[in-house]
Amino acid sequence: MWHITKREIYDNLNSLRFALTTVLLLALMVTNAVKHLREHPKRVQTYRDAVTESSDRLTAHADGSLYKLAQYGPGNFYKKPSSLHFCANGGESILPDTIKVGEPPVFATDSENRVILQGVWSLSYPDANLQNKNVGPKVSQVDWAFIIGSILSLIALWFTFDAFSGERERGTLRLMLANSIPRHTVLIGKFFGALISISIPFALAALVNLLLISTASTVHLTTEAWGRLGIIFALALLYTSLFVALGLLVSARVQQSAVSLMILLLMWVTLVVFMPSTLASIASSFSPATSFDEFWKQRNPIEEDLWDKYDEWLWSSKVDDKTLRGKSAFFTENAEREERRHEERLRYRSSQVYRARAITSISPATLLQHLIEGFAGTGFERHLQFVENTQRYARQLREFVADTDRADPESPHILGVREGMSKKFITPESVPRFEDTLNLSRDFNTAAMELLLLTLFVLVLLSGAYLAFVRVEV
Amino acid sequence: MLKTLIGRELLDNLMTFRFAAVLLITLLLVVANTVVLIKDYEQRLESYNTSVQTHHKEIQEKETYSAGEVEVDRPPNPLSIFNVGLDKRLGNEIWIAHNNVPTLWEARMNASDNPYLNILSSIDIVFIFEVVLSLMALLFAYDALAGEREQGTLRLVLTHPVRRGHILLAKYISAMLCLLVPLLLSLILAMLLLTTTTTISMGADDFGRIGGIVLTSIAYLSVFYLIGLFISAVTQRTGTALMLAMFVWGALVLVYPNLILAIIRSSDIPEAKAVSAFNEIKQVWDEFDRERKHFLATDAFPGEDPTFNINGMGFFYEHFPENRLTLLYLYNSMMTFGELDEKFEEEVPHAQNYFQYLIPSTINTAERAWLIRKQALEDTLVRKSNMKRTLLKFSPVGMYDAATQAWAGTDLKGVRDFFDAVRHYRQTVIDYFYNKNAFASRKWFAADEGAADWRTLPAFSFKRSGVEINAKRALPDLFLLLTMNLFLFMMIFLVFIKSEV
Repeated sequence: MWHITKREIYDNLNSLRFALTTVLLLALMVTNAVKHLREHPKRVQTYRDAVTESSDRLTAHADGSLYKLAQYGPGNFYKKPSSLHFCANGGESILPDTIKVGEPPVFATDSENRVILQGVWSLSYPDANLQNKNVGPKVSQVDWAFIIGSILSLIALWFTFDAFSGERERGTLRLMLANSIPRHTVLIGKFFGALISISIPFALAALVNLLLISTASTVHLTTEAWGRLGIIFALALLYTSLFVALGLLVSARVQQSAVSLMILLLMWVTLVVFMPSTLASIASSFSPATSFDEFWKQRNPIEEDLWDKYDEWLWSSKVDDKTLRGKSAFFTENAEREERRHEERLRYRSSQVYRARAITSISPATLLQHLIEGFAGTGFERHLQFVENTQRYARQLREFVADTDRADPESPHILGVREGMSKKFITPESVPRFEDTLNLSRDFNTAAMELLLLTLFVLVLLSGAYLAFVRVEV
Repeated sequence: MLKTLIGRELLDNLMTFRFAAVLLITLLLVVANTVVLIKDYEQRLESYNTSVQTHHKEIQEKETYSAGEVEVDRPPNPLSIFNVGLDKRLGNEIWIAHNNVPTLWEARMNASDNPYLNILSSIDIVFIFEVVLSLMALLFAYDALAGEREQGTLRLVLTHPVRRGHILLAKYISAMLCLLVPLLLSLILAMLLLTTTTTISMGADDFGRIGGIVLTSIAYLSVFYLIGLFISAVTQRTGTALMLAMFVWGALVLVYPNLILAIIRSSDIPEAKAVSAFNEIKQVWDEFDRERKHFLATDAFPGEDPTFNINGMGFFYEHFPENRLTLLYLYNSMMTFGELDEKFEEEVPHAQNYFQYLIPSTINTAERAWLIRKQALEDTLVRKSNMKRTLLKFSPVGMYDAATQAWAGTDLKGVRDFFDAVRHYRQTVIDYFYNKNAFASRKWFAADEGAADWRTLPAFSFKRSGVEINAKRALPDLFLLLTMNLFLFMMIFLVFIKSEV
């Protein structure tokens, strides 16, 4: 078997297609690296500035009374740019990279008629970015996902279309099978031969790309990032073997190599180019467009007017226990409701996207796109993870405020009102800080299903190729 | 002789498996996608109609003239089914006010759909043709000469007194006839689907535009066929020809358009030209602001407060919103009260006098700022995007895309036609205000003595430019495609004449 593989590799190394492939992949990978080096430092800088500003705001809020922290909360949250951004862009220009912290929403006046803000902070999720200021042509990304998903798959077909039909045409297949080699050995030998000869230019191009990126002083790849890159490389091989298997299958069944290539090309166009977009269009036309008000009305037909409910206490300047508790209840409920509105809308919209993504997963190209996005830490899945991180931190901060208040025996424990909270001094250092983290095991969990599907595709096609080749007459 | 040759080639091509496969795939893709695209168009049309109604109702309910920001909607283009271009992406809702000359950069999206869905890729009919037809043309061409050379039939044909040019011509004509079958058949099916839906109304102009799209598609197809024929003429073996053809296809359709846009540096920092224009615009408005304050200080009434101490059921604001990227800077103010308390009555003449001065002055300043902004936008944002488009045109895909967008009216020029109409309409609205003497009237800011009258305000209407204008815009790219055809044909002719059989 190794003999056949070696023969295949030598055959391919000297061919025109090998040279063309190497040039093509190198050009794409170098462009990718250059673009990343140009843009990534800027992205990181913007993120750092934003985080510093946000952290300063939290420090300002936490420096002093607990009430101010409970009222204004933390600064805005920012999504940490992934250092593997060059692997998959993941619709970066569309997904928002911040979650805003809403100001206390209630206006009131104090005894000297000055306007003061009351109430407590809440999270609000900005909508996806529109591209409506951009009049340029539609920009597509030359990221690894594109290079692997579209180019490498095409190359895989290019290397395999004549694997059997070409040899059959030349008569060498008959010659080979005249020896006492079992057919499955021939098949497996051809499979690995093609896979390895494709991996060589790809690995070379990827190496150049990574060399350019990792030696630059402006970007830094951590050990975990290298691990993720390893996974992405393995994914590329898995995906390529899918198309190699497809190429072998068709090549075994078809008599002429030209016809085989044509069938493969048409299959490729359908699988890689059209299925993702057509299915996405079909899926998104299922999701009804509803405006926010309409959506909210459907969900909550009866909305109680909080302002009326708490009217008795809201405008009163008394500081007795009942009034303070009334105010506190109003502020909390108001903030919670604001947050819930935003959250439900986001959830509704994400569920539409999820549905569309599930439907498009029939195409292996989309599967690969999702997988690479998942492991590169970009894209929609990552956005939802960012949202989750923020929500977790918001809970943590609220608990911190409640706990600190509870620890003070002199406080009346009425949160959200100045008179009802602990007067003790807090320091900014004691407040928990937000950190946007990625979790590799979680990424594996979300990717498990898609990984399984992709592997299944490969196995089915390989066994198909085996069956086709075993039964074919030479 | 030519006839016999064409007949032979035609039979050869039509009876092949590849013809059947390509025909099937094209028909399937076009029909499936047309159904989805029509549904998508209907959804957009519906949301446009609701939006128009809401805006109409909203403006009628405005009690004062100053509160009346007229909102105008951009209808979806039915030909976006063929090439969506910028039709879906750019804003489709824009406000018209006296203080700004509107451009497409101020337009918003009416927010009834889910913008997160934009991360999924979308598709249109021209895109299908772009990918499938080019591939098909190459598949028909790669063995046209190399194959015959391999089989030896070329030698056989040339033993007869046939001119080589005739052989080429026969091959070209018959292959193009074959390629036209899937193109036209799928288009006819798409048209059938289009005409059976009642929501899409197409006029004679639209059929002209679709005719233009078909014409461009044929030219595009022919370019790829000739590229394939050229490869076939220079190579000896069909295997090599096929491999080269595939490589060229991948490079032209898949790699080049993506690569070239990635190479161009896209920055979100405004250029020096834009910065200076923005400062110039800002100066114009600063000057306006000084004059305004001067007017308040020196008018016949005491007090310099632009709110005139009035408060009550209503609101007042003034600010200078800015956007450095789109060079937007303007003075935005509004004062509107549903009821006026007795005690503010003495301030009313002061306010009237002020607004009578302020609004025409704002209009003038807006016009002056527009003159600067128009040029600067053209020099920065539009030029940059046009440069990208030009670079894309080094691949026939870019030419084809640009030409079909121009035919469909979904290119930048087509969308900007709408905003030209909006600017024209703004003039109508201002004239309406002048006719009503709105600026000097009490109704500008207070509704206590009767609400503002919006009933006779002329409605906005927009008609897409005529088919001859579309043709004018598409012609350069169509011409480029045709020239490329001619050039390729000559090259093939030269190579084939000199080649040994």
